[in-house]
Amino acid sequence: MRRAAAVFGMACILAVLALLQMAIQAEWIDAYVIPLPTDMLASLPRLVAEEHIVARFGVTFGETLSAGLLALVVGVALGAGLYRWPRMRRAFEPWVAVFAAAPLVLAYPLFLVLFGRSSLTIVVIAFGSALAPVVLKTLEGFTAIRPVLINVGRSLRMRPADEFRMILMPAALPHIFVGMRLALIFALINVVGVEFLINLGGLGQLINELAERFDLPGTWASIGLVVGVSICFFVMLDGGERWLRARS
Amino acid sequence: MAARAKLNQAGVMLPRIVAAVVILCAWQALALSGLLFRDVIPPLQDLARGLAGVFTSPDFYANLLVTSVELLGALLVGGAAGVVVGLWLGGSRFAAAAFERWIDYLGPTPKIILFPVLILMFGVGMQSKLAMGAVSCFFPIAISVAAGLRGVNPVLLRVGRSFRARLDQKLLKIYLPAMVAPLLNGARLGFGVALIGVLLAETKLSKQGLGFMVMDAYQHFDMPRMYGLLIVSVGMAAGVNQLLQRAATPTKT
Amino acid sequence: MKALIWATALLATLQMAQAETLKIAVGQRGNWDTAIPELGQIAGIFKKHDLQLDILYTSGGGETQQAVLSRSVDIGTAAGSLGALGAASKGAPVRIISAEMTGAPELYWYVPTNSPIKTVQDLAGKTVGYSTTGSSTNTVILMAQAQYKVAFNPVASGGLPATFTQAMSGQIDAGWASAPFGIEALNQGKIRVIVRGAEIDAARNQTVRVNIVHAAILAAKRPAIERFMQAYRETLDWMYSSPDAIPTFAKFSGVSTDIATQMRDQYFPKATLSPDQIVGLDSLMTDGVTFKFLAAPLSAQQVKDVIQLQPAKP
Repeated sequence: MRRAAAVFGMACILAVLALLQMAIQAEWIDAYVIPLPTDMLASLPRLVAEEHIVARFGVTFGETLSAGLLALVVGVALGAGLYRWPRMRRAFEPWVAVFAAAPLVLAYPLFLVLFGRSSLTIVVIAFGSALAPVVLKTLEGFTAIRPVLINVGRSLRMRPADEFRMILMPAALPHIFVGMRLALIFALINVVGVEFLINLGGLGQLINELAERFDLPGTWASIGLVVGVSICFFVMLDGGERWLRARS
Repeated sequence: MAARAKLNQAGVMLPRIVAAVVILCAWQALALSGLLFRDVIPPLQDLARGLAGVFTSPDFYANLLVTSVELLGALLVGGAAGVVVGLWLGGSRFAAAAFERWIDYLGPTPKIILFPVLILMFGVGMQSKLAMGAVSCFFPIAISVAAGLRGVNPVLLRVGRSFRARLDQKLLKIYLPAMVAPLLNGARLGFGVALIGVLLAETKLSKQGLGFMVMDAYQHFDMPRMYGLLIVSVGMAAGVNQLLQRAATPTKT
Repeated sequence: MKALIWATALLATLQMAQAETLKIAVGQRGNWDTAIPELGQIAGIFKKHDLQLDILYTSGGGETQQAVLSRSVDIGTAAGSLGALGAASKGAPVRIISAEMTGAPELYWYVPTNSPIKTVQDLAGKTVGYSTTGSSTNTVILMAQAQYKVAFNPVASGGLPATFTQAMSGQIDAGWASAPFGIEALNQGKIRVIVRGAEIDAARNQTVRVNIVHAAILAAKRPAIERFMQAYRETLDWMYSSPDAIPTFAKFSGVSTDIATQMRDQYFPKATLSPDQIVGLDSLMTDGVTFKFLAAPLSAQQVKDVIQLQPAKP
């Protein structure tokens, strides 16, 4: 049933696109604002050739990976630290929650001045936006560890380092994976968003530039490309998470 | 018991105060060091002046109103659409299997990239910002509603059926109470992304709203004012977020 | 006496009610050429033609064009010619109703005084700002690149103040400006000019900025748009003949009357602002293709459709 439903879903989407094509050709919809879906597809080869799509993809991907991995490493460390010292946790967890809800990306002009007009600014903003959710998820993960496991460790008189390595980390791993997925997703959103806003970098900049050149088929095609990248990311993360869970 | 609670309070306050003092001192040192370009880290007194200036300027309230209207409109439109789609996906297993993955995939894409297209469709006025916010908040709300509906305890549904409850009774007495937490969570997430969507759209192309004020301050390099506006915007976002979070987590019995 | 006051008030309201409101998008607030709508409004010239202007300032021709194409405004002034022609060639319903600026004597590119960049050749590999894609600053900087054969990195840095911030804080190496912006900083020695628009041969005989409308708006509001252009011409005459012009501009833009006079006399010869002729259409087509705004030069029919100058009434 699931497979049939998935196919049905795909078919519906294609049907909608076909209807759109017909509506635009019949001039019910202004072809200028929404170009023919076929035109959008047709612009893809041109984009690949002229706009260095592959290079741009590399830039966006690299920035996302840097920001996400950095957020993961620092976030897990901070989360573990807050777990280790409950007093610090009680004091600062609400601050982290506020930080997680804050729209850091709004301050992008400031970051531009602080870090220059470069990939570094993009990575810093994305890192800052992804950090707090990772910390919160890590904390959640450590807190959810069944006390019996910790008691076993204590009864065996494990050293704190061993306890961390052999009990805490493996038990918290599923939550840390969720945190990693969060980190990479937040990073991707912010990387592409800031690229678009400051007109610098990879795919986000491409969308802005094509829009300003009024190349509407190209703009839509590149938006579709970013959505496609996001989907691939998501699928990869899902798969990776499942693989790691199966292993541990 | 009370004494221990008080001790806990003190235990929490001390690290916070220490942290705050350290951060503020580091900030002031950096501001006065002259290492960074002019005002980009302004001294604390300028920062305070900027913040005060925000509240005393009349155009702040006018722009706040504009942003609020855009935000509320976005939540209404995006929220209504999200609830309808969420209910449909949550209620039908087939629909969920067919379409929910698309909502999941589209959710994490940055919606700001749709802005040029939204401008062409809706113009450079408030409508395109509202549309931006609506598109942003549709996804987390739809996902939360679908998950919430699926999470309603089947026992409760059977009880309702055995009592031959009418649709409106089922909605009000079974579904709604059971879904309060996920609905509020969805609303909280939706509010967050709608606010970001509206503000970023305003910074990109607008002549009113809080986002416009932030960009205007930056373009005239009035950094204290820009920081003041950022603090106020972030403060409001955090405040609403806290309220919704408290409302969503029921008091433990 | 009371009756007189009431009658005057009634007449004034009727007069206001008669005035048609036109929404105008203007790129770069505070420039001399873009001040025509604002100054004409302040001087009452547009009111004389029964027009009330609602002005939205954008940070460049690209944004102005977006506002026009989404029908958020009726008229866009100071849009880049190549941007407009490029959009038209892709099927956008944009119409050019007049020239706005021919040649680029008011544009210049600058660096902070302590920058290691001393000549145009030093710009190789550096980032150089222009406002938005499709604007006149975009075109002229590309022309400069071709003329001096230097490979630098043009960057869309946005409006005048934003660009100044970026240039002074090192985010970009050279910023763009148009007089009177930055003249004070120049006089004070804070910035140095590297390239002037007046040096660019290709720009001198080319209409780099135009005034545009949406095709549907032109059809629906043609009489009002014709009156707008009449008032526009009158305001232009007033700006170069009336002694009130400089003080009014100085007050509106925030520069001193000395700088405003310096700017008008040295940077804005009146002929460059004439709306009645698109100069250098052939070179526009060639440049459009070279700089990738156009896939191919527009056909004669396309030119006739797109460029619909509103003639001056005798």
